[in-house]
Amino acid sequence: MKHSKLELMTGLFVLLGLAAVAYLTIKLGTGSLIGGNTYAVESRFANAGGIHPGCSVLLSGVTVGRVEDVRMDPSDYSAIVTLRLTSLLKLPSDSMASVKTSGLIGDKYIALSPGADEASLKPGDRITLTESAVDLESLIGKMAFGSVDKEKNTKENSGKPNP
Amino acid sequence: MTIRLLLPVLLLPLLTGIAHASNEAAENRLKSSVAEVVTIVKGAANREALIASVKTPLQRILNFSVMTKRSIGPGWKQLTPEQQQEAVGLFTTLILRTYTAKFTPGDCPSMEYKPSSSTAPGRVEIPTTSLYKGSRYDVVYRMEEQNGAWSITDVVIEGVSLVADYRSQFDAEFKSGGTEAVMKALRNSVAQAK
Repeated sequence: MKHSKLELMTGLFVLLGLAAVAYLTIKLGTGSLIGGNTYAVESRFANAGGIHPGCSVLLSGVTVGRVEDVRMDPSDYSAIVTLRLTSLLKLPSDSMASVKTSGLIGDKYIALSPGADEASLKPGDRITLTESAVDLESLIGKMAFGSVDKEKNTKENSGKPNP
Repeated sequence: MTIRLLLPVLLLPLLTGIAHASNEAAENRLKSSVAEVVTIVKGAANREALIASVKTPLQRILNFSVMTKRSIGPGWKQLTPEQQQEAVGLFTTLILRTYTAKFTPGDCPSMEYKPSSSTAPGRVEIPTTSLYKGSRYDVVYRMEEQNGAWSITDVVIEGVSLVADYRSQFDAEFKSGGTEAVMKALRNSVAQAK
């Protein structure tokens, strides 16, 4: 009798531990650990490369929110990123959002820089002043293949003047 | 009841139509300004004459008051109206000087316009590709409608926004030394660019 009670207690303890791990994984992963009330705003990027739900949203290096959702706008193929921000933060409507990388190979995050407008962003508003992820590969590609363009340009120029 | 249900469906083409019309208006405004600048660059005899005559059309298409306000960012509200006016003047001189310094008489990039998109009511982004001296540059013009006129409020070159770039610099100045540091940084930049 005493033996089975001990087994039951151990089982319950293990279950409790697993539940705690699951709770923390979910909470940390989606970033719901930001305390207090929150609100969501959208931001539109031409390229949201590397951003996924759970990424940090920083302002002056301080975490003020998390990325809640990343989807595509089928009308112009741009990326719409939903940010969940702490309601303590009042952002002017001309604030900017940029996709940044911490370090050279670090995680991607969204950096906010507040603007100067009197009006603040309301829940559901969209940040249109954004900077997309800088595509290093295409920049390197441009440097590598720049000479091809140059040749083409010179040939075009020999026939007719550039508009 | 039926009409209420049908209203959104009936309004949708109308709204899409409006969005298309605004895109077109912004595109036409940008294209005509580019054409005007190209004509001036082609006809200019020397660099000094070119810089002098290209300023007026650039001041018409670029919205310097909005650009200055957004570039300074949170520090803007702390500036006195006189300082704000001075800041707009200095920023206009700085931008015009920096960008016209790159112009060479008779030498123009070939520009290719890509389909524009309306990001919000009264806001349009026009992506373009410029081919200049053998290099290709992706430039996005952010245009906004104010009092019925379209003007450029930001330029994104190779993914880097002009306003964001200046804002990070001016905001650092503002955080370290307040409004005086912002004004000093502006005055210094204009003096250096001479």
